[in-house]
Amino acid sequence: MNRRKFIDLFLGGSLIGTFIAFLYPTISYLLPTKQIEVVIKKITAARLGELAPNTSKIFKFGTSPGILINTSDGELRAFSAICTHLTCTVIYEEDTGTILCPCHNGRFDLGGNVVSGPPPAPLESYNVEISGEDIVVSKKG
Amino acid sequence: MKARKMRKIINLLSIFFLAISIFSLSLYAQKNYCIECHQELEDELLAPVETFEKDIHQQFGLSCADCHGGNPAEEDIDLAKDKSFKGSPKRSQIPEFCASCHSDSSYMRRFNPSIRVDQLDIYWTSEHGQLLKKGDTKVALCTDCHAAHGIQTSTHPKSWTFPWNIPQTCSRCHSDKDYMKDYKIPTKQWDDYKESVHAHALFEKKDLSAPVCNDCHGNHGATPPEITSIAFVCRQCHPSAGELFSQSPHKEVYDEMGISECEACHGNHKILPPSDEMLGTGEKAVCIQCHEPDSEPYQIASQMKEKLDAFIKKIRHAENLLEQADRQGVEVSEPKFRLTEANTILIMVRNLTHSLSLVEIEEKIEEGKKVVAEVTSAGEAALREAKFRKKGLIIATCFIFLLSIALFLKIKQITKKTPYKSA
Repeated sequence: MNRRKFIDLFLGGSLIGTFIAFLYPTISYLLPTKQIEVVIKKITAARLGELAPNTSKIFKFGTSPGILINTSDGELRAFSAICTHLTCTVIYEEDTGTILCPCHNGRFDLGGNVVSGPPPAPLESYNVEISGEDIVVSKKG
Repeated sequence: MKARKMRKIINLLSIFFLAISIFSLSLYAQKNYCIECHQELEDELLAPVETFEKDIHQQFGLSCADCHGGNPAEEDIDLAKDKSFKGSPKRSQIPEFCASCHSDSSYMRRFNPSIRVDQLDIYWTSEHGQLLKKGDTKVALCTDCHAAHGIQTSTHPKSWTFPWNIPQTCSRCHSDKDYMKDYKIPTKQWDDYKESVHAHALFEKKDLSAPVCNDCHGNHGATPPEITSIAFVCRQCHPSAGELFSQSPHKEVYDEMGISECEACHGNHKILPPSDEMLGTGEKAVCIQCHEPDSEPYQIASQMKEKLDAFIKKIRHAENLLEQADRQGVEVSEPKFRLTEANTILIMVRNLTHSLSLVEIEEKIEEGKKVVAEVTSAGEAALREAKFRKKGLIIATCFIFLLSIALFLKIKQITKKTPYKSA
């Protein structure tokens, strides 16, 4: 093989390689496969002072709901707002100071433990920390 | 000096022998001759020794004599079986034998301050206790459910009364056709229970809060719940379905006709996971068990099912749109989050069917439809965005491709005009 033939072959090969490298992501985008959901571990759930004592807020944790509660003692607690019975979104019941699932009246205490009704397991509890003016909620472990 | 040394040695030796003697005596005193002798025996006389080691009574420091009397320190069998010796109780005596301690609150408090001491009283109210009083000793006694020796607390996973062992414990008698033939009651409860949603929760999901036999029938006071009390039993865990049912027109009719509330549609031991097919007028619908095709309730059931199906269809459509958009790389976490609200409403609607109120169901569905409409519109917008991005990419790709060809042709043209000179 002479030098010219070698250079032609090298350039041709590189051109084909460049085309493949360009076309592959383009085709992948146009014909997508199922995406893996990104797991969020930490999120700003509220601003400091946003929640009065004995009130709550449902916040978005990834695509799932979480519940942030400012207890009547002014303590912040956060849980997954997904009821362990049939995945309804739970609410904080201010007059009883408990967490209630409105679908089947499953009730949880402020530790996330089941008090009554059909839920088979406690609510997943989250860590709560204050970072500047933000209330940051994160998954445990 | 020598004598003094000798005296010291003698003193030391005396102390040594005294200690040996006390130690031997204490060993002799601690020796339990019940166990020593029974260890040498066979079968049912050996069994208590083999199982007592793990018995909760043994762990609390009780021994054979605390239940059976006698003197375990005596090696001689005649001396061991002294006046206090009670031996093994007859089957008919077992409840009172156990209750001699377990009904004594001041005695039991020493071991567990919160333990119940009313088991015997409750037992006499049970079907088992009632029959025992009539002289039937085949019925379940304390030892049939708790074992005689090797008894564990109900919180121990190997205990016969631990939640996931209870169905087997009861079925030892209740699934035995020969044993139960005199009582003329069904023996397939265990087979039915195994297929139930409760058994699935207990055995598959290891959910210890799932009900087992004693949660519905009672344990020491075990008895079949009366028709009127079945609903109260179910409501222990399913209060909202019960409340809705009580407000429904079914309540009065069921009471008048003596139909048990929950059981009529959901069954008893074989309670299958509820499905949407149970509603309406389809093959699997429970409504058609009582309602004739031309009747008003039949029409209402049909409408309920139609509306529920339509709502579910809308939710699934919205879900599908979001999934497509997500797959195409558009950020849809907000509408996905919003969709959880629609799912909550769907579960509420399913529960509302216990009220039989078409108006309430429609109202709730309307509420849910608004949420689904928002999600659907967000999903459609996301898909439009995905389409726009795709178009842009295709156009850009075509331009780049054309540019590449043009460049290639240009390079070829230049190389033709200025050929390589041979050396």
